[in-house]
Amino acid sequence: MDSLYLLIPIALLFCAIGIKLLLWAIDSGQYDDLDKEAWKILADDEPVPPTAGPEQSESAKGEKP
Amino acid sequence: MAGAWTVISTSTILAMPPSIDVPVAADPLLCYHCGEPVPAGCEMGVVIDAQLRPMCCPGCRAVAELINASGLANFYQQRTAYNQRPPEQEFAPREQYRVYDDPALAAGFTTEEANGEITAQLLLGGISCAACTWLIEQTMVRVPGVSKALVNLQQGRLDIRFDPARVPLSEIFSRVDALGYRVRPFHASAGRQQMKEEYRLELRRLAVAGLGMMQVGMFAIALHAGDIQGIESQYQGLLRWVSLLVASFVVLFSARPFFTTAWRHLRQGALVMDLPVALAIGLAWLASVWATASGSGQVYFDSVVMFTFFLLLGRFLERRVRQRYSLTWFDAQGTLPDAVSVKRAGRWALEPRVQLQSGDTVLVRAGDTVPADAEVSGGNSAVREDTFNGEPLPRSVTVGDVIYAGSVNVEGALEARVLGSYLDSRLAALQRSVEQAQTEKPRLARLADRIASWFVGAILLITTATALVWSQLAPEQAFWISLSVLVISCPCALALATPAALTSAASALRAGGVIVRGENALEALARATHLIFDKTGTLTEGSLAIARVQLLADFSSERVLAIAAALQQYSNHPVARAFSSIEPGPGLEDVVYTVGAGLEARDGDRCYRIGSEPFCRSMAATLPPPPPEPLYWVALCRDARPLAWIGLNDRTRPEAQGVIDRAKAAGLQVELLTGDSSAQGPLLARHLGIDSVRSGLEPQQKMDRVRELQEAGSVVAMVGDGLNDAPVLGLADASFAVATASDLARTQADFVLVDGDLHSITNTWFKARQCRRIIVQNFAWALGYNAFAIPLAALGYVPPWAAAIGMSLSSLLVVANSLRLNGKPQVQ
Repeated sequence: MDSLYLLIPIALLFCAIGIKLLLWAIDSGQYDDLDKEAWKILADDEPVPPTAGPEQSESAKGEKP
Repeated sequence: MAGAWTVISTSTILAMPPSIDVPVAADPLLCYHCGEPVPAGCEMGVVIDAQLRPMCCPGCRAVAELINASGLANFYQQRTAYNQRPPEQEFAPREQYRVYDDPALAAGFTTEEANGEITAQLLLGGISCAACTWLIEQTMVRVPGVSKALVNLQQGRLDIRFDPARVPLSEIFSRVDALGYRVRPFHASAGRQQMKEEYRLELRRLAVAGLGMMQVGMFAIALHAGDIQGIESQYQGLLRWVSLLVASFVVLFSARPFFTTAWRHLRQGALVMDLPVALAIGLAWLASVWATASGSGQVYFDSVVMFTFFLLLGRFLERRVRQRYSLTWFDAQGTLPDAVSVKRAGRWALEPRVQLQSGDTVLVRAGDTVPADAEVSGGNSAVREDTFNGEPLPRSVTVGDVIYAGSVNVEGALEARVLGSYLDSRLAALQRSVEQAQTEKPRLARLADRIASWFVGAILLITTATALVWSQLAPEQAFWISLSVLVISCPCALALATPAALTSAASALRAGGVIVRGENALEALARATHLIFDKTGTLTEGSLAIARVQLLADFSSERVLAIAAALQQYSNHPVARAFSSIEPGPGLEDVVYTVGAGLEARDGDRCYRIGSEPFCRSMAATLPPPPPEPLYWVALCRDARPLAWIGLNDRTRPEAQGVIDRAKAAGLQVELLTGDSSAQGPLLARHLGIDSVRSGLEPQQKMDRVRELQEAGSVVAMVGDGLNDAPVLGLADASFAVATASDLARTQADFVLVDGDLHSITNTWFKARQCRRIIVQNFAWALGYNAFAIPLAALGYVPPWAAAIGMSLSSLLVVANSLRLNGKPQVQ
């Protein structure tokens, strides 16, 4: 049972790291918009290629530095 | 294998997010884009997903075509609500966004990045669901020169990063505009910044309390197991000390707002619900610290932390429900155009509105919003002043008349001399009365706070008495028994009684098409004694429709209306809208529009006129006077022959009668307050059976009436729509904005009706009363539990574990009882 003296501080350390990470995520604005993120996983990342516009988006990519 | 594939694909289709099915054959036909009925004879449509989709107006068609051509038609499958109908574009030239290309003007809402790119923050209007954010982001990020586009749904804000050398800011504005969303610069304000900070702080407190709860809960299980099986005192001490460490952090950081609120109110002599909460948390924590330090008694760290977490969670959810659709930063100034044509050295130049000086001459084209209070110096026209009186019919103006900022010029172009700055305008005065109304709104004492005040008193009294009695009987036990009285009275259930019921009712109402915004609104609505309606746009449709045709010649009424519609399609006057659903007759030529009079057109050698009585009589001298009914009459004649009088009125909403009957049957006093000074108000009131009516009221006079009722002790619920209703909506104890309401009215209303069905008003009222009953039941249970448990604790019969179980069970019961509100609004 003496291992408790080691394991409990480790657990507290993990907890502290968890809190730290969560607070960092909140402060960097990742939780500012809970509604959109919940919906976002349902959306397609890439739109269906438009019928007339592929050259346009290609050129846009090409011009980017 | 093939069989399995079929099964999978079928179930995938079934599991797809709900999309809106357009009833193709059903009547009336709904626009695929905005969901409004398609006017008869309108044959617009767009092929999306290999199917012809009906469209109601050129605006919707343009947006739908744009979305489809960009390959984003998937949006229509993903959205969960119809889009808002885009504003009529023909009068809002894209030119007006050019002013934002001026770096000085753009500086207020843009920041320059290190690599020369610019990040702009834009406020979006008309976002109806999460799919809109996807549509905007996907469209904008593919504009050459744009490197990043992010929409914040909660704030309705677009953050866009772009290279100004490749794409001007005005282009970005007009691209968003082309998608059918309203777009304005997003100016960071202190209030908005503070709201964001508060939201984050609340989330941080919740996060800390949640993680702390898990840790302390883990140690608590070991401690409880130790109580049953036996535990060596050194390990018990260790577990208690680490619990103390984590719980103290949670109490000091997460539970801080309970202490500060309780203290703030206590100093003003008010006992609020936060006081027993703060007492329970504080004392249970102190007792546990004492027990840990002395190695005796019982620790309650797990209860302390769990209680903190659930209360914070309840408050966070309640607040999120309310803030989700709030537009708290909207002001009346937002309705004014950003760019204005001003005469400079004899030429018209486009300038930002904020640079207008008094004495400048501005040009207001037909369809434009008047940018400032001004005196007409050239031209004749009519201005629609629904901003101030809620009425759709315009007022004729000519040289020398004053036109007000925020009204809309409907007929011809006007030149006008600016009279003063925005702050001196009538619109700014309206905005100020809105702000005044907010401060004057009576704060009805919450049920929870009223109960809290005597609950706290009673608990303190009982605890003192217990301590006194036991100090005589058994001094060594007095401290622990008095403490157990305090802990067992832990007002978990009491504190949860209100937020659990309110959150539950608000989410049920949301599903029924009502957004709850006001903090106290459900409680106030449950106590309402008066229900006050605005007329135009609330009880009526808010636009003119044909009510009667009085024939003067042997023409059929169909033929008369076809001729009228053929003429009216060349007009922008609100009257012309009434004819837009009628198939126009065969082609007319040489249409001439006479401002303030009517239209004239030729068909071969025949001449038609439609319009005012003098205008038609000057051609057809035999035109009789209009029929006596109080309608808005227009005459139609061909050459010297009068054909018909066409009577128009603002149609009453079909469900208005039923709603008023239900409200009266349920014991509410119904009143009508209207800005319309004609006979229409009293007539409508008599027709619908409304007892009391006041017409021709200015926004200020509507407020006076509500104030008068409130001073007499009534609780007033108000229903309105227009900008002119915003102050009175802000003042009323509970207020509703109907679906078509102006943005300012929405910001002031406690409830927003999304689907425009007036039945939602009475449904919400019934739900509010049900909610109040549930709250009372919750309190009855929580207090009953205390009445039973406190005497036992005072006698020293309650072991700590029984107290803990009792507390949790009573809280659970309160939450379960509140969930009963989640059903559909009852129709009674």
